[in-house]
Amino acid sequence: MNLILIPIVLPIASALALLFISERTKYLKELLAIGAAVVSLLAAANIFLQPPPDLTLRWLGSWLAFSLHADNLSAFLLLAVSLFSAAISVYSFSTPNKGPAKWFFFNLLMTQGFAAGAALSDNLVAMLFFWEGLLVFLYTFIALSQDNHAARRTAMKAFLINGVTDLCLLVGITITAYIAGTASMSEISRDKLTLDYGWSMFAYVLLMIGAVSKAGAFPFHTWIPDAATDSSASFMAYVPAAIDKLLGIYFLARASVYLFSLNGTMQLVLMSLGAVTILVAVMMAFVQKDYKRLLSYHAVSQTGYMILGIGTLNPIGIAGGLFHMINHATYKSCLFMTAGSVERQAGTTDLSRLGGLFRAMPVTGVCFLIAAAAISGIAPLNGFFSKELVYKGTLDTGYTVFFLAAELGSFLTLASFLKLGHSVFFGDCPEGLKDAKEAPFSMLLPMTALAAICVAFGFGAELPLNWLVVPSLAGMNIPNPTMSGFHLDKLYFVSLIVILAAVINHILGLAAGGGKASKASDHIHYAPVLKETYALAERRAFDIYELGMDKAVPAVSRLLFKADRFFDWVIDTAPSSMAGFLGGTASRFHNGSYPLYMALTIAGAVIYILLAGGLK
Amino acid sequence: MDLSIKMLITAVAVPVFGAFLIPFAARISTAARNAFAVLLGLFTFVAAASLASTVLGGQTADFTLNFPRGFDLILHADLLSVFMASVSAFVSAVILIYSLDYISHYDNQTEYYAMVVLFLGSMMGLVFSANLLWMYVFWEMTGFASWRLVGFFRSDRDVAKANKTILVTVFGALCMLLGIIMVYFDHGTLDLRMLHGQAISYAAAAFILAGILSKSATLPFSTWLPDAGVAPSTVTSLLHAAVLVKIGVYAYARIFGVTFAAPDAFSNTVLYLAGASALVSAGAALIDTDIKRIIAYSTVSQIAFIFLGLASGNKTAFVGALLYILMHSVAKGGLFLCAGIIEQNTHTKDINKMGGLFASMPVTGTAFALCSLSVMGIPPFGGFFSKFLVFSGAAQNGNLAVLLMFLAGAVMTLLYLVRLFYKIFLGEPAGHGSPKEGSVTMVASVMALALIGLALGALIYYPSAYAELLTNTLGVNLQ
Repeated sequence: MNLILIPIVLPIASALALLFISERTKYLKELLAIGAAVVSLLAAANIFLQPPPDLTLRWLGSWLAFSLHADNLSAFLLLAVSLFSAAISVYSFSTPNKGPAKWFFFNLLMTQGFAAGAALSDNLVAMLFFWEGLLVFLYTFIALSQDNHAARRTAMKAFLINGVTDLCLLVGITITAYIAGTASMSEISRDKLTLDYGWSMFAYVLLMIGAVSKAGAFPFHTWIPDAATDSSASFMAYVPAAIDKLLGIYFLARASVYLFSLNGTMQLVLMSLGAVTILVAVMMAFVQKDYKRLLSYHAVSQTGYMILGIGTLNPIGIAGGLFHMINHATYKSCLFMTAGSVERQAGTTDLSRLGGLFRAMPVTGVCFLIAAAAISGIAPLNGFFSKELVYKGTLDTGYTVFFLAAELGSFLTLASFLKLGHSVFFGDCPEGLKDAKEAPFSMLLPMTALAAICVAFGFGAELPLNWLVVPSLAGMNIPNPTMSGFHLDKLYFVSLIVILAAVINHILGLAAGGGKASKASDHIHYAPVLKETYALAERRAFDIYELGMDKAVPAVSRLLFKADRFFDWVIDTAPSSMAGFLGGTASRFHNGSYPLYMALTIAGAVIYILLAGGLK
Repeated sequence: MDLSIKMLITAVAVPVFGAFLIPFAARISTAARNAFAVLLGLFTFVAAASLASTVLGGQTADFTLNFPRGFDLILHADLLSVFMASVSAFVSAVILIYSLDYISHYDNQTEYYAMVVLFLGSMMGLVFSANLLWMYVFWEMTGFASWRLVGFFRSDRDVAKANKTILVTVFGALCMLLGIIMVYFDHGTLDLRMLHGQAISYAAAAFILAGILSKSATLPFSTWLPDAGVAPSTVTSLLHAAVLVKIGVYAYARIFGVTFAAPDAFSNTVLYLAGASALVSAGAALIDTDIKRIIAYSTVSQIAFIFLGLASGNKTAFVGALLYILMHSVAKGGLFLCAGIIEQNTHTKDINKMGGLFASMPVTGTAFALCSLSVMGIPPFGGFFSKFLVFSGAAQNGNLAVLLMFLAGAVMTLLYLVRLFYKIFLGEPAGHGSPKEGSVTMVASVMALALIGLALGALIYYPSAYAELLTNTLGVNLQ
């Protein structure tokens, strides 16, 4: 058996095996899941170091073979997927609030197997098969994480948003494959498609919608904050923070620089989408009052940096986008893990009821500090370097406005993490949390490991860049962006200014909020104009899903239903009443009167003769 | 006589004549009648499926019974007819097994079994007929059987719906007969084997199309199907939604796909009609609150996707359409049978009066979810592949308006099925007491169909290779 199959087949087979294990067994399910995830990780590492030969299986008739191909980028992505799967399965060993353990690990392993398949597929159709297959597990993951209606509704929301954009991706892939004459990505890349005419433009836009929606970008992100409150921290750390981002950005990069060669207009579209995503989501994140919900908006906002980076279309920006992809997955997963651990030990994620937990939970606290500093782009952690690359790439395109938007995003990111960290780990400890304890080892281990990666990829940024990112770019025929490590250029000083501004803002906010850290964003939250906008946003007035389901879908379907009734009238009511009318009219002439019958007969004869051409 | 020819005759004659023996079996005992009916169904399936080895080997089986003036009864087994016959016979056999429990609560069971088997027999006759006139005869026989089945309960309302069904389909069939007569005068024969590759006049094609659309419940003749679904027995509505509506689709494939070269303008009209049909019925499925009507509307909408594949004029789409027939029959069958279990145990068809049923009916709920996923075309279910191929074909066809219509149709499919599942199984319980799970036979039937949908996805190579072989050997005028 080809080694390339193990990361796909092993998790799926283990997930199916889990179904036959009784819910009452202790640890067996957990150990099976962890074992499968760890073995897959080893296989992925092996694939990364020594790419196995391609695997081709017969599939859909004779046109479409099922082909797996581990080029540098795919192997990098596979490694990341397997790493986070292993980390989350260890972490989830003892987390509560994740629903029935059997189904949690079933979903986790299925998601892992399908994500690995999507990463390794060379054939667009095979990739779509795995990609869209994730939908099922996205739904069950959320729906089963809590036994209430909110979870089921959010699951439906996630399913529908992703289902619709997956359909767009499907149509995009059909058109791409038709234009290119093949569905194999490596073959398409030999002669990249251009956006010269309508169909290829349409195809690329559909692929892009599929990719950015999976990554959770604006405006397809709205299920993520809901899932933060209605599902488990483990799920958030795994799917929206890691797997979805990895796959979405992976395919965005593939589509934008590997399959298509884009033009200036599309570059502008991508960069605008990135900038809007950064700002909209970070503005929302800043005012959140719940640990997980705040993080979830950052998960959206950070996607903007990756899209912005890839949208620059220059090697430095793309490298930044991909580097940010792995960095973000690392620190955001770690942050959600800290949220899960605080939730388990303190029983709440409401910021106003937390505080001073650093003393009781030092390991969680330190991990939080590292990851929060990394996401805020503080040197020399990993987030700093990837953001620098994105900034540099953005400046190289000449559009300074996107650079400014990204820096503003960084300012708000740091400001909201100052607020979050301050209200959870520092400040006064509420009465009920005095005897809180540190989380168990199984939760701390993966958390610490991810925090360590944040540090390692920061101090030793050369390593991941040279091992992971540059080879991936080379695999896509992008020249090596000459990247040197840390240096004191003007971007570094800009980052210092941003830090300073955020600290000043936090102090101002504290003063305005009466010293309560959880209120440190109120001076912006309740500022004129913003206050009304936030109120509308909280009522979901800007949520395309809610708008669509509340307004558009009922209106359209009522209209269509009317059309249906009209056709029913045409084939049922109208002929029936016509028949009734004719019958009624005719029966009036059948009244038994002999003279009437005679008159009708004669009249009929006359009409016949006239119509037949008259008497000749 | 060759074994395959014997099998061919058996597949048609056994159910057609067997149906008339069911009343005699009923004289012996109820059990004998039920067993006989199920055996007839299974036997027909086996006979039809056994022909697969012949046609896969590149052979065909032909049987001719001579009648004057070229109106011979010709039975012809080729890749297409064997495919269609096996799929319909399989679903019908599952329906018969499921009926054992389901129908045991009602009157007139003997008539029910006789009509289902007669329906199956006429379906076999229709599928295997290589003479348009005989196709028409069997076509009307299926109409007769379905008339009796929709009006199975004799209330005025049921009879009215039954009459609507037969009037609409007979109107279409008579149009088709006109078309067939035109073909006869144009070509001097109705033997489809001799008409292969010939041109067909617009008028004849349009008349035949009217028959096809009315039988397949496509716009503008669509609404009889949801109404027929209101008839009390879910089983009969299933027979309509999963089997009977495929008759029109099959006739389209047979007449315009593998016999005549359909003119482009004609195919384009069909594409637009199908697109409108997909959208209108999906909209109606989002508004309606009767579980069986919703599923019936969903059938109308999915049939449109099959037409999209058949009329797109390329091989990818044609293969997609054939797979769609298979996947849809299995998945929609499962959905209807689930609806039957739900209706029988909650005594309501109104989805607003359901809610929270997953707790009491977990197996039915799971089967319902799996079948819905297949209808939506979500991997790894078989429905994914058929939907993907149909869309690929539409992209190749290059008509943007049609493509967008069907994209919207596919989106709405997601919406109404998710809504339906949520309303029935998850939403707030609406005072239905605590319904029980269905009986073992019924639950086993639905679970079997759900798992077959999954298996078809995993083993997609085999059905797709068959469909591809069929398209390559028989397809006419496909790119």
